[in-house]
Amino acid sequence: MLQLSLNEIFSETQKALRSVNIEWGIAKDCATLSRWLAIHDQYFLGSILKTIEMYKNQKFSLSLEKNNREKPLPATLMGTLLVEYISVKKEWKGYIHNPKFLVAAMGLIAEEQQINLELSDKRNKVIAITNNKKLYANYNKLTTSTDYFVLRINNIPDISKLNEILISKKLKLSNVNNKCWAKLKEMAFETYVPESETSISGAGY
Amino acid sequence: MENKIPLRDPSKVMKLERLGSFHQSRLSFSRQLINEIINNKWIFNISEWNINNNGVGHAVISANSNKDIFSLVIFCHSIRDDERSDRVIADKWDMTFSLFKGAPNKKEIAHMSQNLKVQELGRHLSKQLTLSRANKSLRIFEKVIEALSSGKQPSHNLINDIGYLVRTTAVYGNGKFGIGDFSEIQNQKFLKKPFQAEMLTVYLIRYFSIELVNFLSKIKGGSKAVRLSEILSKHLGVGNATGLGMAPFLVNHQELLNKWINAKETALSRVFSLNKISASKQNNIINIIEQAFKYTLQWKVNDPLQTNRIKILNTELKFIINDVSTKKILNQSYPLKTLFDFFNNKISIETQEMLHSIFLEPFSEIIDDLTNNMSAIEKNTVPVNFTVDEIIKIIEKNYKWALDIDIKKDKENYYFWYTSQAKLEPRLGIRKKDIGSEKELPFDIPHQIQNALTILKMLPKSTSASEAMIGYPKIRNIIRRVIINNFSPYSEIQDNLIGSKTKPIDMLRCKLSFFGASKYDPKSNLWTRITLFQGAPLPHQLKKQDESDLLFPSLSLNN
Repeated sequence: MLQLSLNEIFSETQKALRSVNIEWGIAKDCATLSRWLAIHDQYFLGSILKTIEMYKNQKFSLSLEKNNREKPLPATLMGTLLVEYISVKKEWKGYIHNPKFLVAAMGLIAEEQQINLELSDKRNKVIAITNNKKLYANYNKLTTSTDYFVLRINNIPDISKLNEILISKKLKLSNVNNKCWAKLKEMAFETYVPESETSISGAGY
Repeated sequence: MENKIPLRDPSKVMKLERLGSFHQSRLSFSRQLINEIINNKWIFNISEWNINNNGVGHAVISANSNKDIFSLVIFCHSIRDDERSDRVIADKWDMTFSLFKGAPNKKEIAHMSQNLKVQELGRHLSKQLTLSRANKSLRIFEKVIEALSSGKQPSHNLINDIGYLVRTTAVYGNGKFGIGDFSEIQNQKFLKKPFQAEMLTVYLIRYFSIELVNFLSKIKGGSKAVRLSEILSKHLGVGNATGLGMAPFLVNHQELLNKWINAKETALSRVFSLNKISASKQNNIINIIEQAFKYTLQWKVNDPLQTNRIKILNTELKFIINDVSTKKILNQSYPLKTLFDFFNNKISIETQEMLHSIFLEPFSEIIDDLTNNMSAIEKNTVPVNFTVDEIIKIIEKNYKWALDIDIKKDKENYYFWYTSQAKLEPRLGIRKKDIGSEKELPFDIPHQIQNALTILKMLPKSTSASEAMIGYPKIRNIIRRVIINNFSPYSEIQDNLIGSKTKPIDMLRCKLSFFGASKYDPKSNLWTRITLFQGAPLPHQLKKQDESDLLFPSLSLNN
């Protein structure tokens, strides 16, 4: 296992996502969610690698209306945009891949904009709620696969429905698998450019 | 306090030409560190000195803030002269350093002994707050030892011409290569302020460099040797060679840039709003203009453009000193504003900005509180209550400068910014000449603004910004910037950073002025040498509070 700083997680993840031409703003959102998950002692790296692979193979839909089990909305990429959207539109239903990243986005927007949201599964069972800048979630339901979910504004949260509570752990470091990290760094490296005559001569070498 | 004089408009301040004329001021981060260590009576101690007679080995200098202990861990290496390079591509250095939180144990020192020497290629500990390296200045290091070991002080001219014994080529912080994250050290009050860990690192490197020449002179000269004099020690800073790696920071950290500029502009507004100033403050202002004049006489560089700017600066300062109106105006209503307006149209931007630094200097009591508000907690989500119509209006108001640029012209697409494979550092390429433009960094702000505006104008006005961004993910990046700029007006450099007229050195100078750099010595449009902490008190000189040399250090050159 390799210990990483949060800055490394953010910057390398953003670059790796850029290596498959994911838009700058979306790559930044996803890197931010990865950092948030790392701070809260949650795995993120495998999900990022899978996201990149699925994005390359066009297995995602980036549309809020047109998504299904075969082409779900990736919470890794669209989680932050979706919680911002629901803050205005009040409710959304659809197929989401990797809801853990959506929960991370709920945590972020609760902390930064004090917007309380509720995420439920298709049986209307609550999986995560934010209240008073805190996030409460049922860990068992936070799979990395695809399912149908409902995200809505909830100003009267009932946290008693939840089995587990996710409290901000604020770890200093995140341990990741060496091979997975090496793979991510390899992708990040693809965004670099060999030095040109212009830059070398200009930089005073 | 009430400010009668409003803050300057961002369209005046945020131009590269002006940002590239900023000077150090009492708000600068190196200055903030000096104030911190004086006010809180920090104690400094060389806790380990395992340097051999050839200057190779390791040392630890501890700094006790009375709340926390920080240690500068130093390794001195033996390298050949031809292995010594100023630039980031180097892989060997005379000295490598790390600022460590607490006192390192033997295991931690052993880890650092293996990893610090390879810098970016090593894995570093989370207790390390910074990572740095430096080379001796060949023009001065041995000459100083030569003089001291034979019982003489080196010449003032030599000390002044170079200004430092060692020159750092990088000072990394904030989680780079495994070191501690900035977000994790913010519970320490002094580290909350920007770049304080980096500034403490450089301050301790400076102390070490002076102790090292004293030590090596004693080894060489024995009982004949003398220590470097107090005056000369104080006049030595630390050199730094800074390149493009620093430039994108100002683009990537909008909220932080806004905080820095806003603090400076607020400080200016406060001093301009003073209706009267005491006779003693009037004298202070005159004295500081005279110090600035002496400083410019001793600021010598090879770059012809900067040489000319310094020459004009010097002439204009003399003109201000000799003008009979200067003293008269200082005794009138709104003296600083009136004095500035009186000379504004007769002086260069470089002199205008130096006057700003001069005006701030004597007014610690109404300015220094602003240093508590120069860091920023950057938001990760975009505020949700904006419609497309509102975003369009913000763009048309705040980004007129970007809309006025003809982005189709070749000259407005001349450069592209990229990250270099060789050292993972930002670089600038010429679009029509160099490869890699498909991997360019998103610094084409006017282009993104104009493209986003075209998309937004196609949408119903009441559409929410988040809905627009979901429909068009490529505008997410720029809409975020626009909304940040709506709350943080000094957050955007108002020039085309990929246009043919762009001079990245201006971005470097802006950032370096906030670091407290002096004696800018540009080597091209892409990199510069500077000096930090020249004129600042050394650890044993801290008791005597003397700010006279901090802003514009100069040295008597009689010997």
